[in-house]
Amino acid sequence: MSLALTGLGVTSGIAIGRVHRLTPGELSIPEYHLDHDAVAAEIERLRQAFGRGEHFFQRLLDRLGAGGAETARELLEAHRLILRDPLLIEATEERIRSERINAEWALVQQSEQLQNEFRRMADDYLALRREDLEQATSLVQRELADQPGTLIGSEVPHQLADTIVVAEELGPAEMTVLAQRKVAGLITEHGGPWSHAAILARSLEIPMLVGVHNALDLLGESEPIILDGHYGAVLAGPDDSLLGHYRDKREAWQRRRLDLRRYLGRPSRTVDDHAFTLLGNADLGPEFQRCLESGVDGVGLMRTEYLYLDHSQPDEDSQYRAYRAAVEIMQGRPVTIRTLDAGGDKLPTILAFAQGPNPALGLRGLRLSLAMKDLFRQQIRAILRASVHGPVEILLPMLTSIEEVRQARSFINACREDLRAEGEKIDPELPVGGMIETPAAALIADQLAAELDFFSIGTNDLIQYVLAIDRSDELVNYLYDPTHPAMLMLLRRIQQAGRRHNISVTVCGELAGNEQTARLLLGLGLDRLSMPPAALPAVKRSLLEADSRRCRAEVEAYLDGRSDHADGLALLKSLNDPSRDD
Amino acid sequence: MIERTLTLSNRLGLHARAASKLVRTADRFEAEVWLEHDGRRVNAKSIMGVLLLAAPCGTELLVVCEGPDEDQAMEALASLVDARFGEDQ
Repeated sequence: MSLALTGLGVTSGIAIGRVHRLTPGELSIPEYHLDHDAVAAEIERLRQAFGRGEHFFQRLLDRLGAGGAETARELLEAHRLILRDPLLIEATEERIRSERINAEWALVQQSEQLQNEFRRMADDYLALRREDLEQATSLVQRELADQPGTLIGSEVPHQLADTIVVAEELGPAEMTVLAQRKVAGLITEHGGPWSHAAILARSLEIPMLVGVHNALDLLGESEPIILDGHYGAVLAGPDDSLLGHYRDKREAWQRRRLDLRRYLGRPSRTVDDHAFTLLGNADLGPEFQRCLESGVDGVGLMRTEYLYLDHSQPDEDSQYRAYRAAVEIMQGRPVTIRTLDAGGDKLPTILAFAQGPNPALGLRGLRLSLAMKDLFRQQIRAILRASVHGPVEILLPMLTSIEEVRQARSFINACREDLRAEGEKIDPELPVGGMIETPAAALIADQLAAELDFFSIGTNDLIQYVLAIDRSDELVNYLYDPTHPAMLMLLRRIQQAGRRHNISVTVCGELAGNEQTARLLLGLGLDRLSMPPAALPAVKRSLLEADSRRCRAEVEAYLDGRSDHADGLALLKSLNDPSRDD
Repeated sequence: MIERTLTLSNRLGLHARAASKLVRTADRFEAEVWLEHDGRRVNAKSIMGVLLLAAPCGTELLVVCEGPDEDQAMEALASLVDARFGEDQ
């Protein structure tokens, strides 16, 4: 091997392919919001681009004449019909109107949605039509960019199944186009795990590394490389034995993924008929789509930080549109929206002015929202307004005291009254829940349960605060142990408080999305889990094949010091031992 | 508004060429034309809508036309379907 680079793996997949270095502008599709009075002109621009595209195909057809080859004629005819298709044109216009976005961006979104429908048809012929749609759309994109039509012919290879794209940074539209072309993997020099691109890569299960310094300088065009998301490594110039090893690994991973999909349609009940509930975590449109496809019972955690990535203060209307879109995609399944959880490791930029000496213990989560009431008001109003379109719940992050809950609830009530006075319709029963992720909140769970409509346990933060270790600190991360008895005792305490007050308790965070720990949670009586949709199939299988009574008995015995398991690891091993499943 | 049920008797149903011919035929008329099958209703002037209907041979397709030339549109579509879209079988 000639070179190894490291970065942060966003997904744990493996990609093998040749490098394509994406130069700025090569694929750029502009994205911007429109002023109200610019909408009509934008729609006209879109129509003209479609018109020119159709005209282009018509001229080709005319030139082909009657003697032209039948297949060429059919292909051109198919493209021409797509370019006058109301499902594409009118729906794109509607996006421009309702979301007030530019034509290019609206077209990418509409095309993506239609392509998803074609994908769902699981028919080889229709799969080809999906490609027609993609090509026809790219012609219109070029027209929109005021470039005269050349048939397809972008510099980016059309099929990227064996290509790993290396870029400085990637935007959401670029991600969409790359995903449509089935890119094998992605490497960026900048961007963190919470960038748009990273979130999309996770939801689309594209192997991706971020933060690979100088990747564009160090990786040559067409150079064969291996991307290992699990170890966060790029291996350049691999020899045959390494390639073979990774091909096997990739194949095993893909086989397993397909295998697991079989469990998705089954009712969520353990072998001893204990019902459990699986929910999805999602931020952006495609992830909600994935949640729906995975058969979730709802979205247990919609994070909202990404809304604040582009603008330091997204206005109420743009937030409302994002929440409404999410609610509509979920078709009546509840969506739990977590209010801004900035601070700590997340998005320090919008807090530049409010950064204390220790961000993890500083102005973050609900504390920040209560300190910045204008920001909070916009978000609450947007959520309340979205609640008429389907079931919505509000989740308050980073609680430590009852006083915070009372303040937040009275603030929410005030917003509700304002909206009512303005004549807006809102869901009068909208539940308000709290994130239990600090030791304080866990210890006073009983009192909090009396003030809240539901609990959600954020295990990642809770573990760090309980064990007093920062996972990203390499000197202490060996102490990071989700099965530490202190952690399990707190989880049991929270679950019991929820049961006593008859409110639901959902676990989100990595423990919920890990097939190894799902049974541990089941054993603690925590049977509502929210996770990234990609994790759902494996967790579902693990729980379908579990015996809830056995899990419960084993975990209880372990916590009471009555079991012979030496540590949490041994407990996990026993809980997941397939020979004990029956 | 007029409605008529047509039965697809060509071998491949509303696939490939048949869909394209149907859309081009519907497109010639001013009337709005809708197709219904299996609880799904699509615009007959939308190639993607028609393809996504995925109506196989033997399907009973409900055609709805509405507009000044609705009779002519229905007539043209009925004869296209009856002629099995000009396919050999």
